[in-house]
Amino acid sequence: MLVQKILTRNPKAELYYDLVELFTGIALVGFLWTHMVFVATILLGSDLFNTLSKSLDDYYLSYVGIPIIVLIFLMHILSAGRRLPTRYQEQKIIWRHAKMLKGTDTWVWVFQTITGAAIFALASIHMFVVLTGWPITATTSAGRIEAFWWFYLVLLLLGEYHAGFGIYRQFVKWGWFPRKPLGYVSKVITVIILTLGLAALWVFLQLGGA
Amino acid sequence: MSTRKFSIFRYNPNTPEVKPFMQEYTIEEPPGMTIFVALNKIREELDPTLMFDFVCRAAICGSCAMVINGKPRLACKTLTGDLKGTVTLMPLPVFKLIGDLSVDTGTWFRHLSVKTKSWIHSSKEFDPNAIEDRMDNETALEIYEAERCIECGCCIAGCVTANIREDFLGAAGINRVARFMVDPRDERSKKEYFEVIGSDEGAFGCMGLMACDDNCPMQLPLQMQLSFVRRKMVSFGLSAK
Amino acid sequence: MSNYTTIVSDVLVVGAGLAGERAAIEAASQGLDVIILSLVPPRRSHSTAAQGGCQASLGNCAMGSGDNTDVHFADTVKGSDWGCDQEVARLFVETAPKAVRQMSMWGVPWNRVVAGKKVLPDGREAEDPKEKEGLITARDFGGTAKWRTCYTSDGAGHTLQYAVDSVVIKLGITVHDRTEAISLIHDGENCLGVVARCLKTGELRIYLAKSTVIATGGYGRLYGASTNAVINEGNGMAIALNTGIVPLGNMEAVQFHPTGMVPVWILITEGARGDGGYLLDKNHHRFMPDYEPKKKELASRDVVSRRMIQHIRKGHGVDSPYGPHLWLDIRHLGAKHINTNLREIANICKNFNGIDPVNALIPVRPTQHYSMGGVRTNIDGYVYGLKGLFAVGEAACWDLHGFNRLGGNSLAETIVSGWIVGKKVAEYTLGAPELNHSYGLIQGFAKVQQERINNLIAGKQGKENVYSLRKEMEQTLMDYVGIFRNGPDLQKAVDNLRELYHRSLKIGLISNGKGANPELSTCLRMPGMLRLALCISYGALTRTESRGSHAREDFPKRDDVNWLKRTLAYWKEGSDLPDLQYEPVKITELPPGDRGYGEASASSAEGKKQN
Ligand SMILES: Cc1cc2nc3c(=O)[nH]c(=O)nc-3n(C[C@H](O)[C@H](O)[C@H](O)COP(=O)(O)OP(=O)(O)OC[C@H]3O[C@@H](n4cnc5c(N)ncnc54)[C@H](O)[C@@H]3O)c2cc1C
Ligand code: SF4
Ligand code: SF4
Ligand code: FES
Repeated sequence: MLVQKILTRNPKAELYYDLVELFTGIALVGFLWTHMVFVATILLGSDLFNTLSKSLDDYYLSYVGIPIIVLIFLMHILSAGRRLPTRYQEQKIIWRHAKMLKGTDTWVWVFQTITGAAIFALASIHMFVVLTGWPITATTSAGRIEAFWWFYLVLLLLGEYHAGFGIYRQFVKWGWFPRKPLGYVSKVITVIILTLGLAALWVFLQLGGA
Repeated sequence: MSTRKFSIFRYNPNTPEVKPFMQEYTIEEPPGMTIFVALNKIREELDPTLMFDFVCRAAICGSCAMVINGKPRLACKTLTGDLKGTVTLMPLPVFKLIGDLSVDTGTWFRHLSVKTKSWIHSSKEFDPNAIEDRMDNETALEIYEAERCIECGCCIAGCVTANIREDFLGAAGINRVARFMVDPRDERSKKEYFEVIGSDEGAFGCMGLMACDDNCPMQLPLQMQLSFVRRKMVSFGLSAK
Repeated sequence: MSNYTTIVSDVLVVGAGLAGERAAIEAASQGLDVIILSLVPPRRSHSTAAQGGCQASLGNCAMGSGDNTDVHFADTVKGSDWGCDQEVARLFVETAPKAVRQMSMWGVPWNRVVAGKKVLPDGREAEDPKEKEGLITARDFGGTAKWRTCYTSDGAGHTLQYAVDSVVIKLGITVHDRTEAISLIHDGENCLGVVARCLKTGELRIYLAKSTVIATGGYGRLYGASTNAVINEGNGMAIALNTGIVPLGNMEAVQFHPTGMVPVWILITEGARGDGGYLLDKNHHRFMPDYEPKKKELASRDVVSRRMIQHIRKGHGVDSPYGPHLWLDIRHLGAKHINTNLREIANICKNFNGIDPVNALIPVRPTQHYSMGGVRTNIDGYVYGLKGLFAVGEAACWDLHGFNRLGGNSLAETIVSGWIVGKKVAEYTLGAPELNHSYGLIQGFAKVQQERINNLIAGKQGKENVYSLRKEMEQTLMDYVGIFRNGPDLQKAVDNLRELYHRSLKIGLISNGKGANPELSTCLRMPGMLRLALCISYGALTRTESRGSHAREDFPKRDDVNWLKRTLAYWKEGSDLPDLQYEPVKITELPPGDRGYGEASASSAEGKKQN
């Protein structure tokens, strides 16, 4: 603990952490949503999906993009995770607090930490699986999803939840929007993305079954 | 007349052998009864040992905050008629418990003032024979808007960060700094403000859960103030050498 | 063997309201070691509840132009019905503008002059000139010839207390909050400090200092219906009185505020009327102009309160389960004005009565509000009878207010007298000899208190219930020592209170009295409170005239021949009534005359008819 204290003595460390959390968060949300849009191209047919995947590959976007995303992902975990209660004592306080004080936003945060931790685990697995089965095609994806549809369903829900509320909280924190309508806006976005995602999942399932 | 049941947290740190417990009381409920009236009635008629704090009983002094049915509220301005069923009263978390519903907010807030150096930093000497420095009325109103905080602690009690981080200054602390930042009489530099609040104890510790904004009985625009300070701190932090 | 923690400092200030903290700052900035004691954290003191404002003759706003210290002086003396000390009043009005400007430097965001034409609520027009823009502005308050009350929206007391406390914190002055002084320590000549009880643990402690300052505020809560905070029980006055050598001045002078909100008695600030609010009766008739054609709702508080009761007695009050009341109407000021300048009032109405003053009438009745009387001091704040003891603020009878205080003069008094007396305290302390007194004497004072506590817990003296005694005291004062007073009622009050006083010596605890037991706290205060109540009612019974807020139906005229004097109430040990003595009131500039409003005034309605 002492070491950490000394290390964070840089008076601006916490400012940078906070900015890193913000920008990596935004980047990840951006990535997640583009990723979902790409995935959703399956709705327009396997050909389009395959072409897209191949062109990303051809122009080396995947080879540059994936490591960057992994890096951003890790940075996000480090900066946002600094707030995670590490000690059992603290975790107990939070649970007691959330139970005693009825604040919806507190529960949102509790779920945020849980979903964050879960995404870390699941997304790593996903990435491992995808990378070992390179390249991405409609057929391999469909096969994967058919076998592990429940895995992807969980990851999808967690990811969307975490991203939706994460972005809501950032906007609130930085005061870019007044609070109440923002909650509404972020929920709307979440619903749209979820619908897209579920639809894609469904199409993959159809493909896999075919 | 109808009656009302109260379930009240009891614990006295001076007698640690008696473990904390919830005690129930039932009293008559005349129309327009506030928790202030109810608690005094309980003390005078049922249990003279019950500890709680009231001073102004008019939502001005900030003494009487407690957790009422799960929400941090000023007890003096809470009408029992607005609550459903049994009224559950707990002391505010975060603050040191003095006994039952009474907590030591005074020490906490003095610490806050010391930490944030909550006084006008000015190099001017007071000249009793000079007229006052001018100030725009709009500026005066803006300062007052932030100065309205009554240090009740509701925003602190409801804040997860304040509950896990002992040194977190909470919305009240960040709002306090905002009060001085908009005050032209305060000559502090960007760097000095940054040192006071540009850390996880202050602006960057806040996770934006806005329990504070929901709970402030003075309806201070806390979300606005928190984000104002956060943005200022980023610009101060990035610009100051 | 000493089992009491003993804490020594140069200066001990009992009370962390505006007056106490202001005095402490003055002493501390002279390098003295100062400790402040308070029942509650400083920022929760009753001073924060003052909403209206603070008088100082800056003369910046259009309606205040031409104001100066002489006008302020005349208003104050007339307001006091010539009961105040004119040297003190002069010193006060000269210092008030400086004090207000100093507060501005310390951070009070006083509202400022905005240039331009404005239409006042009564239709008059005023224009604030460009050259005054940005200076401290003022609002109208009762009993003043000019607009002189400086304010910060609806939070004058709050912002003043926060500013003063910020300086206390800056200077690092020690504050022991939740600590109650329960007895002075003295050797018959010098005050040596206090015995205090910790309200967190119940522990008794001894505080010793070269000088002790009583700044404990008023005693409003002796009355059942009071605008005061629940901690305003007059403890500081009581411990001074208990010495037997220190007198309380003019305790019969009790101010009633015209507009306490029924039924919770929370104050609706005078700012509401100052900004143009009306008083209406049950027929929605605006009756004040009938009685006071000139000042209308803005005559001094004692006059407005009496006119209201007079009007209610004529049968024009609105009946309610809490007794008859009148209405305060601010609807015509408009939602914008109400929700910004009078926001606190709007909140109070909503939270405690469920009404919105933008479109509803506010039920009001005169309510106990301020104690003009208190620990008698000279112009430097030195308490009569004991060296090294000072008093400031509402707890003191410096005698700025005589028999009626002007609204806004009390906040001003706290910062002015805190400043002046604080300086005198510092001066005295710097020249005072080292603390040197008998150990046994000091321990003795603590032991007396310990014994009281033991007896209360054991129920040794009896089993009287403190809460029922208290209720009876409150009711007695309400019923017989209110706005209008008369011989038979006052006699009844004195008799009742005497009996209650004897019973208060036989109180026994119901609970075990362990630790910071709240019942024990009340029990310890009860006999002192009854003594104060007796000083008030016995003083009122004896004063056979009407002056300011002291209105005797059987002696309706002011009597300057016999009563141009100040009551000094002493409490001799073993007695059950105060010993009343009198001293002359100093008249230096303005000889007794007509106030220009009120029953005796030539300009009031009845008066007019006669000429
Ligand atoms: C509702 C209301 C509104 C008002 N509005 C105005 C206004 O607009 N303008 C104006 O000029 N005046 C106003 N007044 C009057 C004015 O607020 C008070 O007279 C003034 O603030 C008193 O200040 P003080 O410092 O003397 O006492 P307080 O502020 O009452 O402080 C007393 C202090 O003494 C402490 N104390 C008391 N007993 C003990 C003890 N035994 N041991 C230790 N500490 C103790 C308390 O904890 C407290 O800190 C108003 C009063 C009320 C009731
Ligand atoms: S927004 Fe910040 S200060 Fe307010 S409750 Fe949340 S973490 Fe605490
Ligand atoms: S910001 Fe609001 S909730 Fe927090 S202490 Fe101040 S008044 Fe209370
Ligand atoms: S008692 Fe003062 S805010 Fe409730």
